[in-house]
Amino acid sequence: MLHDFSYHRPGTLPEALDFLAHHGSESAVLSGGTDLFVVIRAGIVTPAHVIDLKGIEELSRLTWDEKEGLSVGACVTVNDLIESPVVMKHFPVLPVAGHELATFQLRNRATMVGNLVTASPCGDMGSPLLTLGGEVVLVSARGERRMPVAQFITGVKRTLIEPDEIVQRVVIPPVWADAAGGYHKLKRIKGHDLGVVSVAMIRKAETLRCAISSAAPTPILLPDISLPTSLEAVQQKAQEMISPIDDVRCTKEYRAFMVGIFIKRLMQELGAVV
Amino acid sequence: MRSVTFTLNGQPYQREVPDYKTLLHYLREDLGYTGTKEGCGAGECGACTVILNGKAVNSCLVLAAEIDGAAIETVEGEARADGSLTILQDAFDKHHAVQCGYCTGGMLMSAKDLLRRNAQPNRQEVIEGIEGNFCRCTGYEQIIEAILDAADSGAADEIARRDKEDTHA
Repeated sequence: MLHDFSYHRPGTLPEALDFLAHHGSESAVLSGGTDLFVVIRAGIVTPAHVIDLKGIEELSRLTWDEKEGLSVGACVTVNDLIESPVVMKHFPVLPVAGHELATFQLRNRATMVGNLVTASPCGDMGSPLLTLGGEVVLVSARGERRMPVAQFITGVKRTLIEPDEIVQRVVIPPVWADAAGGYHKLKRIKGHDLGVVSVAMIRKAETLRCAISSAAPTPILLPDISLPTSLEAVQQKAQEMISPIDDVRCTKEYRAFMVGIFIKRLMQELGAVV
Repeated sequence: MRSVTFTLNGQPYQREVPDYKTLLHYLREDLGYTGTKEGCGAGECGACTVILNGKAVNSCLVLAAEIDGAAIETVEGEARADGSLTILQDAFDKHHAVQCGYCTGGMLMSAKDLLRRNAQPNRQEVIEGIEGNFCRCTGYEQIIEAILDAADSGAADEIARRDKEDTHA
């Protein structure tokens, strides 16, 4: 059973933002619902209003432009992203990581933007977006602001979003377009599971970018790595930056160890180790 | 409450639904379609899988209020009124892919969705197709064999044929 809330489905963005301007603090914003209804069912949040964004056509847009880059609307599902030829062509790390997010039927509802807004340390979209320099576009009745994903996620399930705002879209500028990329995720079982630790890496020309999830309160981006470099130097840098914890899924030592292993495998895949 | 119009297994409905009820609970409690099961209620086990506008989804994470204008398919849409089974159901029977039966409704929906997207899946594709459906009895082997056998026996053609009949109905 869910608690008694009222459901709203605005047809336009101004309508949604106007509602949030007045009722934002007692509202929850719904897109895929794959995180929201889990926390509502558990009684962790009890919003008076649920605002469904899926009636707003522009939020389902997924567009590529050589100047602006890739724009992923709030209601673009993870399967939309995986199946998009333009995403596969320009940002292959996204579909590879997206494929690791939960199950097929969950990805038919779950959105990339929702995964970021939930801001779980083990979210599968955060670290690939950090490597690609993704930016979040927030809108409210007060106006628009834009910030890097790295700045947007501030802690475990914490972001800079205000109660009257929604993330309209995520923009990935073209600077890292066409970079090769990979994503490795440690799970407790062979099937789908929350990540125990994961590493995203991209390579464009002689630059590597690497980000790590589930090894700190937020996904961590390493400084750009210029090739040639040694595997040990990258592994060393990663160990300096992460702060893994012990929890029900894994010990901190195992997390730290697997970060090193995944960096090695990804550098091998991307032809970055001799 | 809000008014929604939808089709369920091809039949049109217009109903008043509470804002805060999941599609899963609405199907089971209000419409009596109890073939769709609640396992985890959190999008992990897949027992509640239905097909919503041609896409397999976890109905525990969808609101009934969200289905206005939608087409929903549940396991009750499979067998004919005379009790005759679909090729897919027949294969589950033949291969002992059903033990306790709790996962079966959702499993059949995922398998049907897979066969619509891919008429002749290989073993790995079948495994990926049912990745979101837990079965705690069979060890999956019989289910995988049933889906592969159903594909070889023309299940995808049968699904396409019935889709066409429903559109013309």
